[in-house]
Amino acid sequence: MNTTTMRDHNTRPKFVTRLLGGCVLLLPMAVPASSQTPTIKLFPTTVLEEIRHTGNVAAEMETGLQTVIARLDEQQQLYIQSKCEGNEGDPGCEQIARQMGKSYLEMLNIMGDKLPEMETAVNSTSASLEKRIRSELGHKKTSWTLQELLAGAQSEGEAKADRPALRGRSGMRLSDRFHQYYQLVARSGGEVNSSLAVIASDIYLDMRETSGLIARTREEISRATLMEQLNQSFGTITPEMQEVVAGVKSILFGEEQALMPMTAPPASQPEQVYDSPLNL
Amino acid sequence: MHTSIKSIIIASAALLGMTTLLSACNSNPSRATACSLPEGPDLERAIAAARFDLETGCEQQFDQYFQRLLNIAEGDPKKDNKTTFSDFLIWANEQGLLSKRQARETYTRYFGVKYVSLISDYSVCDQTCPRRDEIMRQMNRELVDKEQGLLKVSADRRDYYRANRLFQETELVLEATCEACGSNE
Repeated sequence: MNTTTMRDHNTRPKFVTRLLGGCVLLLPMAVPASSQTPTIKLFPTTVLEEIRHTGNVAAEMETGLQTVIARLDEQQQLYIQSKCEGNEGDPGCEQIARQMGKSYLEMLNIMGDKLPEMETAVNSTSASLEKRIRSELGHKKTSWTLQELLAGAQSEGEAKADRPALRGRSGMRLSDRFHQYYQLVARSGGEVNSSLAVIASDIYLDMRETSGLIARTREEISRATLMEQLNQSFGTITPEMQEVVAGVKSILFGEEQALMPMTAPPASQPEQVYDSPLNL
Repeated sequence: MHTSIKSIIIASAALLGMTTLLSACNSNPSRATACSLPEGPDLERAIAAARFDLETGCEQQFDQYFQRLLNIAEGDPKKDNKTTFSDFLIWANEQGLLSKRQARETYTRYFGVKYVSLISDYSVCDQTCPRRDEIMRQMNRELVDKEQGLLKVSADRRDYYRANRLFQETELVLEATCEACGSNE
C-alpha cells in the first residue's frame, strides 16, 4: 500500500497548490491621500463588515477543525511509530487506521457543515468589492489616472518610515488573513485612496480564488466521504485521505513556506531629486 | 568675335553647372560621414557631436543618436545625467526634431517613474481592459527602458524601485479591475 505522511506537502491536492500559487500578491499599507485627490469609495462600512464577518466564519471553522486535525496528527504519528507502513495486516495497525478513518470522516463532516456559510460570506464580500472596483476604478478612472493614483500612494508612502515591503500571504491562517484585511482597511480610517486600490484588488482576487476553491472542495467532500466509508471496512489509510487532510491544513492554518523573493526599497539615498520639466 | 563670346558664356555656364553638380554629389558622402554616431566615453562631447549632426541633416536618425548617447552615459552613471538628457530633449524640441509631447514621452519613458504605455483618454473598463495583455507587454518593455535610464544611466535606484513597484501594483489592480469590469453589471 502506498502511504504518505500528512505533513508531506508535495502530495497536497492541486487546489491547494493553486491557492498558494496565487498568494504572492501585494499588500502595502494604507496611507493618507493627498488633499487634492478625489475620494474613491472602495470600502464603505458594509464591505468592511462583510470582511470582518468572513474572518469570523473562517475562525469558527478553524476552531471546529483544530481538535480533529490535531487528533489526526497524533494518530498518524502513532501509525508511523508503530511501524505500520508495510505491515497493514497487523490487527493493531488496522485498528489505528480505522481510528484515523473515523477522524477523517469527522473532519469531512465539519467541513461539509461549515463550508456553505464560508462560501456565502466569501461570495458576498467578493460581489460587493467587485461592484465597487468596477465603479470606482473601472469606470471613473483611465489607466493614466489610475497610475497617478498608485504613484501618488508611493510617494506618500515613502514619507512614512514604516511602509512595509511587499509580501505574500502564504503561511497564514484564513481567519488571520481576513483579520489582516480588516485591519488594513480599517486602519486607513477612510483617509483613502491610493493604497486602498491595491488592497481592494488584492482582497477581491483572493476572494475569487478562495470561492472557487471552496466550491471545488465542497464537491469533493461527498465523494471523499463515500470513499472513506468504504475504506473503513478495510481499515486502510489512503494517500488521497492524507492529501485531503494536508490540503485542509494548508488552506485553514497556512503552512511553512519559503518567502518569495520580493523587491525591497534600496538603502536610503541622499534626497537630491531632479524634476525635469519634461517629466509627465 | 560675337560667336567666341557666346562660346565662352556657354562654356562658363557649363562649367558652373558641372561645379554645382560636383559639389552636390560631394555633399552626399560628407553628410554620410557626419551621420556617424558619436564614439568615446565623454557624454558632453558626444552630445555636442550629436547636436551638430542632428542640426545638419541627420535628424532622421534621432532615435539611433539618442540610444547611442544613453549607451555612452552608461559608462559613467550619475544622477546629473537626468538633467543632461532632459536638456538634450528640450533642445531637440526647440530644434523641431521632436514635438513637445514626443520629448516628454521619451524623457518619461527612460527617466520617469510613470509609464507612458498607460496614457489613455477613456475609462479602464472601456479602453484598457480589452487590450490589457498588450498594455502589460508594453509596460514591461518600458520597464526595461527605465532600467537603462534610471539605473544604468542615472544610478537612481530609488526611482527605479518605485517604477518597478508601480508596475507590479498596476498589474494587480488592472487584473482585479478588468475582472470586475468583465462581470455582469
